[in-house]
Amino acid sequence: MAEVIVPVGPHHPALKEPVNFKVVADGERIVRLELDVSYNHRGIEKAAEARDFVRVVPLLERVCGICSHSHTTVFVKGIEEAMKLQIPPRATYIRTIVAELERIHSHLLWLGVAAHEIGFNTLFMWTWRDREAVQDMLEEMTGNRVNYGTNEVGGVRRDLTPDLIQAALKRLPRLEERVAKYAEMVNREETMLLRFKGVGFLTKEQALKLGAVGPTARASGVDYDIRRDDPYIAYADVPWKVITDTHGDVYGRTLVRVGELQQSLKIVRYCLENLPAGPIRAAPPRAAPKAEVLSRYEAPRGELVHFIRTNNTDKVERLDIRTPTLANWTSVAVSLVNQNLADIPVVVAAIDPCLSCTSRITVVNAKGRKTGEMTWDELSEHGREFYRRGGRR
Amino acid sequence: MTEPTLTIEAVKEALGDLGTVEQVRGNRIKVTTKIEKVREAILRAESILNCDHVVQISAVDNGKSLELIYHLTGPHRLVLALAIDVPRDKPEVPTTSDLLPPAGIYERQIHDLLGITFRGHPDLKRIILNEDWPEGEYPLRKDWKMDPNKFYGGVHEEAK
Repeated sequence: MAEVIVPVGPHHPALKEPVNFKVVADGERIVRLELDVSYNHRGIEKAAEARDFVRVVPLLERVCGICSHSHTTVFVKGIEEAMKLQIPPRATYIRTIVAELERIHSHLLWLGVAAHEIGFNTLFMWTWRDREAVQDMLEEMTGNRVNYGTNEVGGVRRDLTPDLIQAALKRLPRLEERVAKYAEMVNREETMLLRFKGVGFLTKEQALKLGAVGPTARASGVDYDIRRDDPYIAYADVPWKVITDTHGDVYGRTLVRVGELQQSLKIVRYCLENLPAGPIRAAPPRAAPKAEVLSRYEAPRGELVHFIRTNNTDKVERLDIRTPTLANWTSVAVSLVNQNLADIPVVVAAIDPCLSCTSRITVVNAKGRKTGEMTWDELSEHGREFYRRGGRR
Repeated sequence: MTEPTLTIEAVKEALGDLGTVEQVRGNRIKVTTKIEKVREAILRAESILNCDHVVQISAVDNGKSLELIYHLTGPHRLVLALAIDVPRDKPEVPTTSDLLPPAGIYERQIHDLLGITFRGHPDLKRIILNEDWPEGEYPLRKDWKMDPNKFYGGVHEEAK
């Protein structure tokens, strides 16, 4: 059969940011994947150069809706390093609590989306219901469900009162119970085993060579986690362990994320129970001296990097952001080769891309004679239908 | 946690003849080298210093010239930064996408935003700016200004 180009994207309101892939397919088999992420370039790096350290934080919070705390933490800790500013331990613990709650809600969201892509909507409903509890906790602590506005250069903006700590601790047992249930379910639920095992496979060598990060890399046995390797905020004080797996496929990535959910709940509990007393911020100087900082952070999706250069002023001279999704793209493009067209939704979703995908898929054959349109939902449906028929090409 | 095993002495021995080596902080080492030596430096960092992961290629316009900083790391958990200066009038750098596959996508991004051309890159096309963005406009350069007579994408005025 002739090769067919399947453009996927760029707009869909259900997923987060727009991207367009051109999938070159031979029948059901994927030959090559090309990527275009230009649709949502907002020029934040340029805009950051024009704002002082107080006003730039809310801007960076809006780089991403899911990992908003990641972007502000990685930035303020970079600026604090440039200023050589020691922030109070209570502030680092509060940052850690919010960071781990963010990881929990992000991984629960991912588990739901992955379940939805394979047609397992019961799990989707369950995880998203549990995610609500996490977002309620975040709202109680910070005042917001998504862009928390917790960080500022020098510390955090809101203290945790004893009431808030008690309320949060009261919610944890239920979440721990639910996550334990998902951990058990992943190992024996047949739909998930059938659709996740062997799909989007990456060997350890490939993961290293292609620069995969986060759960994608750890599911292939690559033992990288910035929280341990380049410890920041309170991670060095908290007992927890890095979760890795050797399956290397979407199944492995699911196991890693579920394992991380359990670790994150442990970290949140430890930080809430051992919150140090004291102030929540140190007064920062207005300007930062000339410095160059590479600030690294383990976001829910993997290593997030802000390269910051300061120049004796109250603004950054350059802010270069490398998001985990961009780092993982190279590996997605490779792990989809020779897979089924029907697996695109689940493999792409498996890196938990921070982007929105498609409303329209135009199916064109190689000579451009035949054109049809599919929505992302139709592609998902095609995936489910394809496997219902028994996965024959 | 695994102890970092990469020392400044090891870096000096491997890369000392290619540029100046300095310890920036605990787990950061920076090597300042030249454009023509960057591929050799990356090859040696990969084979001798066990740097198997490219963290980021940072690109900066410092007003006088453009700078590229390749941040590499490996199982030793140390970040090795290889910095080069790229002249503004001839912003051309050999590609490293064959040595470090993820660099391919980062180089396309840098090409879009700062206009550095990577010689030998297999597919240096636009990735981060929209397709109707004018050619030859690099928004992250310090001297870049929007030209009111040019169309930078979106909906044409007459189409509104």
